Amino acid sequence: MAEPPLKGIRVVDLGWLTAGAATSTLLLDLGAEVVKVEGPGALDPFRNWAGADPARAWWDESPWFAFTNRGKRSVCLDLKDLRGRDAMLALLATADVLVENYRRGVLDQWGLGAADLRKRFPRLVIASISSQGEDGPERDMVSFGSTLEGTSGLAALTGEADGPPIISGRDVNYPDQVVCLFASGAVVAALMERDRTGEGCHIDLSQRELTSFLLGEELLAAAEGTPSPRMGYGPGCAVEGDVAFWPGGSAPVRDAKALSESPEFRAGTAVLRSPDGTPAKGIPFRFANRPLAVHDNTHSLGADNHMVMAEAGLDPAAIAALEEAGVLATRPRRGPTK
Amino acid sequence: MAAKLCGLYGAEIIRPAGPMSPAGALGRFLGEAIPGDGPFDAAIGDSGVAGAPVLLRFSVFGPGEDPPMSELGLLALSGLLGIVGESHRPPAALAGHQPAYAAGLAGCTALLAALHAGGAETVDISLFDVTCWLNWKVAAAMMVMGEVPTRGGSRADWFTLPAADGHIALVYMEKDFSQLRAMLGIDDPRFETRAGRLTHRAEFEALIRPWFAARTRADITREAQSRRIPIGPVRAPAELLTDPQYTARGFIGPGGMPAMPFRANGVRPHG
Repeated sequence: MAEPPLKGIRVVDLGWLTAGAATSTLLLDLGAEVVKVEGPGALDPFRNWAGADPARAWWDESPWFAFTNRGKRSVCLDLKDLRGRDAMLALLATADVLVENYRRGVLDQWGLGAADLRKRFPRLVIASISSQGEDGPERDMVSFGSTLEGTSGLAALTGEADGPPIISGRDVNYPDQVVCLFASGAVVAALMERDRTGEGCHIDLSQRELTSFLLGEELLAAAEGTPSPRMGYGPGCAVEGDVAFWPGGSAPVRDAKALSESPEFRAGTAVLRSPDGTPAKGIPFRFANRPLAVHDNTHSLGADNHMVMAEAGLDPAAIAALEEAGVLATRPRRGPTK
Repeated sequence: MAAKLCGLYGAEIIRPAGPMSPAGALGRFLGEAIPGDGPFDAAIGDSGVAGAPVLLRFSVFGPGEDPPMSELGLLALSGLLGIVGESHRPPAALAGHQPAYAAGLAGCTALLAALHAGGAETVDISLFDVTCWLNWKVAAAMMVMGEVPTRGGSRADWFTLPAADGHIALVYMEKDFSQLRAMLGIDDPRFETRAGRLTHRAEFEALIRPWFAARTRADITREAQSRRIPIGPVRAPAELLTDPQYTARGFIGPGGMPAMPFRANGVRPHG
């Protein structure tokens, strides 16, 4: 059997929630090795997304986090500390790809900005996934996925003709989902270009732009002076009760239970299982000659501190000193935020 | 969409004309017929090309499982239709061609990965799998926690509201509520907690509506953003043609054509 497509590629994942973290997960699923780096004072918010019991090891018990981040190696490193920053630079020296979706400017404050990293590591592919992009007058506009549905044009065209514009909300946050499918491809394209030129690059990806791009024909129609109205389900389509109708066909409008019990879903790849049997984020493509699968469980916070730091060239004394200083950790410094 | 992206990445695209070729604005966005001959590095869809090192196929449910289907049907079957919208209104279908375009994004990523690996690959994309993949929170809530999220249910505290000149998207996390409360000037113990606001959703919405309705989208956004609340305006595609952010970043080209939605070392790939 041939090796997976990205075998040998090393990814450092500074991705939070879905947009960054699930992009790295797709690279993992394509065969890359992914090291997820979180700080003891700055965990991925998915570890505390749906409430946490402060009396328990809540940071390792979030199903949302586990679902998205299964199979990644875990390092807990304080990047705000100069010693942590230096350890991160050592790690990046061994990496092919960095994926991040921090608020713009944060990595620059820590001495890990893309411009500096490009100078230090010319072969590194840096994928910066942000709401608005690296520049422009709205660069610092605070947005969640559903905010971007508003600003991208998607909400304006979603919903009934006589109703309000609709956003997908917390259960979907559509732009956060769809960007992963695109960003992972941009990373692979950059790796192919690196193979050709020897040079990495900085990918500056705006989620808002992508969401508008996925309405490209509507932008063209608007520019021609024939903008589409908000029109519900489209010509000839309707939803009556729990059934959707279109010319020539119909389908049930499923809820979570009906979906999870449906034979198509069970036979599909949208949700798979980790080796320990827990449901895991699936893989949205199938390769005939390089079968893809979920190979590993979710690692506990900092479980791979020693091995990853050693691979980055730190000797045991240096690793112990980082641990002693609390720069390298296996638990958060604070309890869960409410 | 997969072919369009490959073209933007620099591939030479040959696209035979056919009865399914899109027309109008859709055809101009995705790309019109381009004649040409092989050999080819990859073949996408039902191109009839044999022997390309990478074959990218699309189906509804997986290889060989390709019954007639619509995008509305995919949204319905995947649960993505049932979960979007307000509880007191019908489910809402995401605008445009989201299931097909998302499948195109997945297909392009997989095709690139196969080429990176040296080819000799057949990649299958199931539109149903991709649409379900997008809707993973709903599936995970059921499979991991035994919950059945419902449209307008326990997480339905984000919605749009009328402003003086359109609508805004009310989006906030619990940590933002003190700032939201201060911005709106409300003080009602029923709404102090998220559970309270969800329980009394109609009353909460009725209380805050006038504040938004009396202000423009720009004024609301400016005030909210100054407090770091992730509220934003609902903008129509026509407005995006002159959007300051898009203009500054060179995202919208002549005739409204959107550019590749990323820059590599400051430059947009353009084929």
